[in-house]
Amino acid sequence: MTSYRLDAGGAINRAQALTFTFDGQSFKGLDGDTVASALLANDQMLMARSFKYHRPRGVVTAGSSEPNALLTIGSGLRAEPNARATVTELYDGLVTTSQNRWPSLKTDIGAVNGLLSPFLGAGFYYKTFMWPASFWEKLYEPLIRRAAGLGKLVLQPDPDRYEKCWAHCDLLVIGAGPAGLMAALVAGRSGARVILADESFTLGGSLLSENVAIGETPASEFAKRTIEELASLPNVTLMPRTTVFGWYDDMVFGAVERVQKHVASPSPDLPMERLWRIVAKRAILASGAEERPLVFGGNDKPGVMTAGAVRSYLNRYGVAVGSRLAIFTNGGSGYRTAADLTARGIKVTAIIDARQQAPDLGPDGVRVIRNGAVVATKGRHRLESLIAERAGFQEVIDCDALAMSGGWSPIVHLMCQRGAKPIWSEEKQAFMAPNVGGAFVAAGGAHGADTIYACLRDGAAKAAAMMGELGFSAYQATLPEVEGEYDPSFAPVWYVPGAKDKAFVDFQNDVHVGDLGIAQREGFRHIEHTKRYTTSGMATDQGKLGNVNTAGIVAGMRGVSPAEIGTTTFRPFYTPVSFGALAGAARGEHAAPVRTSPLHGWAKKNGATFVESGLWYRSAWFAKEGEKTWRDSVDREVLNVRANAGLCDVSTLGKIEIFGAGAAEFLNRVYCNGFLKLPVGKARYGLMLREDGIVFDDGTTSRLSEQHYVMTTTTAYAAEVMAHLEFCAQTFWPELDVRFVFVTDEWAQMSLAGPKARIILSRIVEDDISNVAFSFLAVRTVTLRGGLKARLFRISFSGELAYELAVPAGYGEAVADAIMEAGREEAICAYGVEALNVLRIEKGFVTHNELDGRTTADDVGLGKMMAMQKADFIGKRLSTRFGLTAADRLQLVGLKPVEADKEIKAGAHLLKENAKPSLANDQGFVSSACFSPTLGGFIALAMLKSGRERTGEHIVVWDALRGAEVPAEVCQPVFFDPDNTRLHL
Amino acid sequence: MASLITCPHCGTRPKEEFSIRGAAAPRRPSPAARDEVWHRYVYVRDNPKGRYEEYWHHAAGCRRWLVVDRDNLTHEVFGVTDATDHLTAEAGE
Amino acid sequence: MALNLLHRHVLEDHILGFHGGANPNHLSVVRRPVIFSVLAHAGREGQVREALAKAEDIAIRACGPSEWLAVSQTAGAEHVAAQLSAIPGVSLAEQSDGKVLMAIAGPSVRRILAKCVAVDLHPDVFAEGQSANMMCCHVVANLARTGADTFEIIVPRSFAGSVFEELTEMGREHALTASFLDA
Repeated sequence: MTSYRLDAGGAINRAQALTFTFDGQSFKGLDGDTVASALLANDQMLMARSFKYHRPRGVVTAGSSEPNALLTIGSGLRAEPNARATVTELYDGLVTTSQNRWPSLKTDIGAVNGLLSPFLGAGFYYKTFMWPASFWEKLYEPLIRRAAGLGKLVLQPDPDRYEKCWAHCDLLVIGAGPAGLMAALVAGRSGARVILADESFTLGGSLLSENVAIGETPASEFAKRTIEELASLPNVTLMPRTTVFGWYDDMVFGAVERVQKHVASPSPDLPMERLWRIVAKRAILASGAEERPLVFGGNDKPGVMTAGAVRSYLNRYGVAVGSRLAIFTNGGSGYRTAADLTARGIKVTAIIDARQQAPDLGPDGVRVIRNGAVVATKGRHRLESLIAERAGFQEVIDCDALAMSGGWSPIVHLMCQRGAKPIWSEEKQAFMAPNVGGAFVAAGGAHGADTIYACLRDGAAKAAAMMGELGFSAYQATLPEVEGEYDPSFAPVWYVPGAKDKAFVDFQNDVHVGDLGIAQREGFRHIEHTKRYTTSGMATDQGKLGNVNTAGIVAGMRGVSPAEIGTTTFRPFYTPVSFGALAGAARGEHAAPVRTSPLHGWAKKNGATFVESGLWYRSAWFAKEGEKTWRDSVDREVLNVRANAGLCDVSTLGKIEIFGAGAAEFLNRVYCNGFLKLPVGKARYGLMLREDGIVFDDGTTSRLSEQHYVMTTTTAYAAEVMAHLEFCAQTFWPELDVRFVFVTDEWAQMSLAGPKARIILSRIVEDDISNVAFSFLAVRTVTLRGGLKARLFRISFSGELAYELAVPAGYGEAVADAIMEAGREEAICAYGVEALNVLRIEKGFVTHNELDGRTTADDVGLGKMMAMQKADFIGKRLSTRFGLTAADRLQLVGLKPVEADKEIKAGAHLLKENAKPSLANDQGFVSSACFSPTLGGFIALAMLKSGRERTGEHIVVWDALRGAEVPAEVCQPVFFDPDNTRLHL
Repeated sequence: MASLITCPHCGTRPKEEFSIRGAAAPRRPSPAARDEVWHRYVYVRDNPKGRYEEYWHHAAGCRRWLVVDRDNLTHEVFGVTDATDHLTAEAGE
Repeated sequence: MALNLLHRHVLEDHILGFHGGANPNHLSVVRRPVIFSVLAHAGREGQVREALAKAEDIAIRACGPSEWLAVSQTAGAEHVAAQLSAIPGVSLAEQSDGKVLMAIAGPSVRRILAKCVAVDLHPDVFAEGQSANMMCCHVVANLARTGADTFEIIVPRSFAGSVFEELTEMGREHALTASFLDA
């Protein structure tokens, strides 16, 4: 037995045993364990194989910086690869699996890579797999990916729910160690709204791991009491299991809460994880400090870990990581570890201190080797002994674990995420948090405080200062005494030279000192280049443990201060965040909100197939029994509208009510055609331009009373048009009294079209709608039989006699039903947007297929609408500029295939007969195309160079994408009833 | 993740409630202005780095056009005013 | 022929799934509220605001500096329209069918709404009687605090199904139930 659970001690619940498996073997852990502490308690030091060389690895840390102990946690659809054993909370029944090994963790064939390692140094892939280029995707990359790697993703959908949430506070405290707890306590007692977030499942941070007394109670007891008090304050929110992963603009912090990651049977009513956006007036970063590993030959042997981790396993989890430990240190942390171990009866075989002189004393009976270094480690799957060197003499030290301490680095990640760089401190021999303004400051270990007392004091002081700034009367905390602290000073040792085995800097990506040397020699000297050439700091741990050592070692190689080397760029996320949490509830059919028309139910029961149009669901066609393809339905609907009547849902068109004494003048300025003289009770088709003279949108606007209009827009441009109107009113002509409001949702609007439309409608409407009383473009509020008020518009998008009837949305379905019933004898049918499209193509009416952001009014044959006599309108000035009036512009034409049954498709290009397809020969393109059942052949609208003068010309519709070339004849864009006789029936 | 704009009418809101239109400085020329003036107004925009004024539309709130005075490098916001008020103030200067 | 037209609420089908009584956290959908958009014309904003505050049986919801929603669950549309149109400088558009009014209440209401809106709903910040337009469940909505633990949400009809589903989904954790107010 080498590592084992002690009989007493630790913040674990010994009464609550938990069973879990690792690689199929069953183990027992305790409530309060992480997977790592539980595995260590079961003497399972070997937990993983390394990324590149497949070297055996154990834990190095007891926290979120862990580079080695990555496991697959959970099973089936919930299996999550690359979880850090050191932060994964144990639960009963948990299944864990090691990764990147075959056939087993102990016997891994991939370890042969270790023998090839002289060839696998930095830059190996770049130099080796250069050519032939075609081999890269097919051979090299798959091979490399198979050999090097992490865990495997589950490719089936995630069975769990996720949520996103907002939180607001006066003070966000990140980290619940001594500084964070004190800061939260001061702010909480001052009355501020406080959020205290910590990534662990037990709050307390280093207080759980350090063997000191605070105010005469053990540190962990102090933490517990403080947390109890914080929990009792209604203005304080405690968020355990919550990692604040990012700092964003305007003091918004991103955090992920692991709501049910630790639960054996998750509740379907709770999310698995919750993403928080925390808006904080002030924030304190109390994320503590990271202990740096020492870089020496064989420093990745399982059993070698940071001294702080050894203390965490000992004091927090009651686990001895070995039975005979050696210690390699450059400061007081190693001595404290020795003292904690011997106090619990665990043998310490030697303290190897890199310093010549040190204030520290080893515990009684423990040998101290000053000015010494570890140069090699022995053992296969776990440390069995090491070789220490002093003054040129080497000796073997017996040990089964090694605690190493290379000094401390404040964890400043979050404060550097918005561009500020950490600042090297010669005094602290560490990169310190930059000053990012007073709203977000570091406190405690994150600020370089190196004793518990200094952390408590710093947390209290920083919070008190912020309370003053926010106008609270700051609670004056009395700081408790702390007894038993150790001297935190250390002298930097960046690496031990001359090692035979690799001295790792980045454990997770298998980057060793030699790789850093290659990068320097080959010119990749900037730290960002060194990082990318060697991959140091590029693994999932983002170099939390290794980056400062990398900077220090590179500085040493270059003979400069680490200040000159600097750090690489810090970016969110601090630790990996699942895609599930980032997506929240927005997945599958909930990816975006759905908009349904008031006639959705009517369409459904009439057999509609729906099509997504933006967020809207519109009825595309209404299949009847026996119809095999959508075309069968659409052809029938079109013919029936032309012959009898059809009812179509047009509720999705944007509807804007416009009020005010300045409304007429306003409309006159936003439309290119005239609107001043539009009489009350009439609708007018209007065309809006952009300021550059290109068509923006079209629609009809009706004058309901002297100062009251209703405008319709296309479905797609409703929001844009409204924003445009508001922009014009608020910034161009604020002197015009005009007001707008969206009423799209108020009205169920249906188009009743066809020669029998009037007779059907007259059975529904009480008012006189004869052609004389209610002529083309008339608009009126009418009364439906039974008393319901409705708006009736005589407008047509089909070329037939047509009405649009608008009723309050809640009555939409009932009115549509009534119209269908009233038109039964006339063989009325429901028709969808596909038939609507065919009807309008037959009539040459344009939509955004033609108004595609490149066309002018003249291009689409509406040039005459432009009321150039108006003093001003949007787009007027630039509509006459040279490029927009050129003779060879693309103009709207009709196309008929020479053989009527040959299909033309939208998107195809146009060529002169016998012309070679080339950009220079391009004559234009097909904008809309359909089969016209009315004409019995395919027809199309197209934009053709100088098209209007080319009627009768034969051209080629070139559709290489779909492998078709169709000869076609250019014609007028109006295929049906060019004199509009049917409109005015 | 988010950034926040304090609307003078609605208070502090996430940027998702707004849409951005670009520089607020250009003024729509009179219909009689010279071609070059119109050309500049429609097509030519500075691309400043740092502090500048921009039109933001509070589409999911009060539906007012706002002028946001901010640093486009750091996203530090110096002030947000209603566009109409901004014009009035400018006319008064 | 006289038409017998049935008025149908957009959430009719959505609410079918919720049977049984109301839990402490409950979402009630108002079946036929009267809702008008009220627009104040240039220069009349202040007067209109004052006059609206005095309107009887009508709750006023702020949308923007010159726009409000006037909501009544007791008065008829004609009565509301008459009162509002008597205010000088006002234009009205009825939205009773275009908007859906829901009330969400209960001890966990703020925790549910924190998943739906970005605005701080702490009573010191968003007090009783306050209202504003804001994004709610990805949709433009008007949110009003009508009590310590009661909020009213007004959303466009076409989005109501989507918003309802998301609200109830976010309420699952707190056993949120839903029904029509008259049920």
